Amino acid sequence: MVNMVDVPADSFVATALFFNSLSGVNDFDSAKRWKQTFVDIPKEYPHYARSLASATTVAQLESKLWVVNTLENLNIKPKVVAILAGWYSNFLTPLLLENLGVDFVWNFEMDGDVKELSYKFNKKYKDQNKYHVYITDIMFDDLMDKSSKNHLSRCEEKRGPYDIFINTSCEHMWPMSRFRDLNCDLTNDPLYVLQSTDDDRYEDHINCVSSPEELSEQANFTKILYSGTKELDSGMKRFMVIGK
Amino acid sequence: MSNLTPIVNDLTEYNIVCMKWGDKYDDSYVEKLKEQCEAHCSVPFNFWCFTEKPEKDYHIRLWNPGPLCHLYDHDHGYFWAYRKAYMFRSHQLEGDTSYFPTNSKILFLDLDVIIHQDLKYFFDLPNDKPWIVRGWWNDPITVKKNYARYKSTVINSSVILWTKGQMIPVWDHVRENAEILFFTYPSLDNYFAHQWYDTYKEEGLLNIFPKGDIYSWYKGNVFPDDMELKKLRTDHKICLFNNSTHVEGVYDDEIKKLW
Repeated sequence: MVNMVDVPADSFVATALFFNSLSGVNDFDSAKRWKQTFVDIPKEYPHYARSLASATTVAQLESKLWVVNTLENLNIKPKVVAILAGWYSNFLTPLLLENLGVDFVWNFEMDGDVKELSYKFNKKYKDQNKYHVYITDIMFDDLMDKSSKNHLSRCEEKRGPYDIFINTSCEHMWPMSRFRDLNCDLTNDPLYVLQSTDDDRYEDHINCVSSPEELSEQANFTKILYSGTKELDSGMKRFMVIGK
Repeated sequence: MSNLTPIVNDLTEYNIVCMKWGDKYDDSYVEKLKEQCEAHCSVPFNFWCFTEKPEKDYHIRLWNPGPLCHLYDHDHGYFWAYRKAYMFRSHQLEGDTSYFPTNSKILFLDLDVIIHQDLKYFFDLPNDKPWIVRGWWNDPITVKKNYARYKSTVINSSVILWTKGQMIPVWDHVRENAEILFFTYPSLDNYFAHQWYDTYKEEGLLNIFPKGDIYSWYKGNVFPDDMELKKLRTDHKICLFNNSTHVEGVYDDEIKKLW
């Protein structure tokens, strides 16, 4: 029995909307797995119940659909996408793979517990070898650093270079110019999709910005393909920029 | 190093250090800590206080301004949260020629602690890694959830034990990434908990003092079995008075009553 206290109504509505958003997929296996994950969370991962509920809201879905729909409208068709600080990536990974035709999705995330939970939601893609969570702190360790070089180099050879980096959590970290500096020797010239907010009411929002322009400046963009603002279901104003 | 001279000229191996920076604590805290150490340490030791205003023979001058001071931001406490990192250098002063002798063991204590038992215990611990406080009073679930940026962290830097040189990687990392670290982690405890200790594997650069050694006056001892607040546990080594909700001055009298 799903505990309504642990999984709020917002998560149920968001989940229903999410499955309805997936292009041409009636994925009952995934739906059942999502349901079971929500049942298991209070027992197996009680400390993650709240954060998982926070990651599974209508507002979260809106922000991820904004990414995918905007890329689609810009006729950008990446093959390999790297999500930075992707958390559980329960919405974004399926949307990228199913709706945008992406071949492979990386999730570079620093929270060690995320991996197991994210694979529960994305089991289908994990089993299909289309999704991989890699635990790293993107603001301190470059993607080709000593500890990860062999693994990631092999993977990059196998998957191809990163076409797009997506970071929908820029408010949680140092400006993205740092990541770009750390990874200036990447083998191609990837596009960046960045989101942030001006909502500074949360303790972990350590890097809020006041506009999409400021977000672009923080990433040292010289070419901007998209710049926009959106008010989410939660009332939070979010900014998104796409560029390089 | 040949032109340098040891901080101490004898072969004394054990050093107890504290830090007094700014006006949060007055001199009575340093004096009382020194008194407590003298009463509760059965091996010879040197007592030192790192301070930006050296006046006494046991004071060691801290940089003022130091190499991290240009990043000082009062509103965020960026610099102040990391001032303890200065202790981890091999040398204590810019251009100074003083240093702790090789193989010195250094025990750092916050000024707001009550010592119950012989500090020799700490010096006798294996020195394969530095040692630091594990906040056993924290609910592990909460700590795990909050491991990165919040106030309740798995690591507490109120008591640290290291052998000279062991903490240099920490100092180098702070110095090289100061701006980003100050921005990202609100306290040294958050920084330690995320960069130097793996909350998931319970391992890292640091060893953690075991349960029963150190407890918190305001937060308890071991979650969930021994969480009574404001209770002296004299069978433990040290009682901490630090409090993340501490308002300067509010609790000062409370510890003084227990001195």
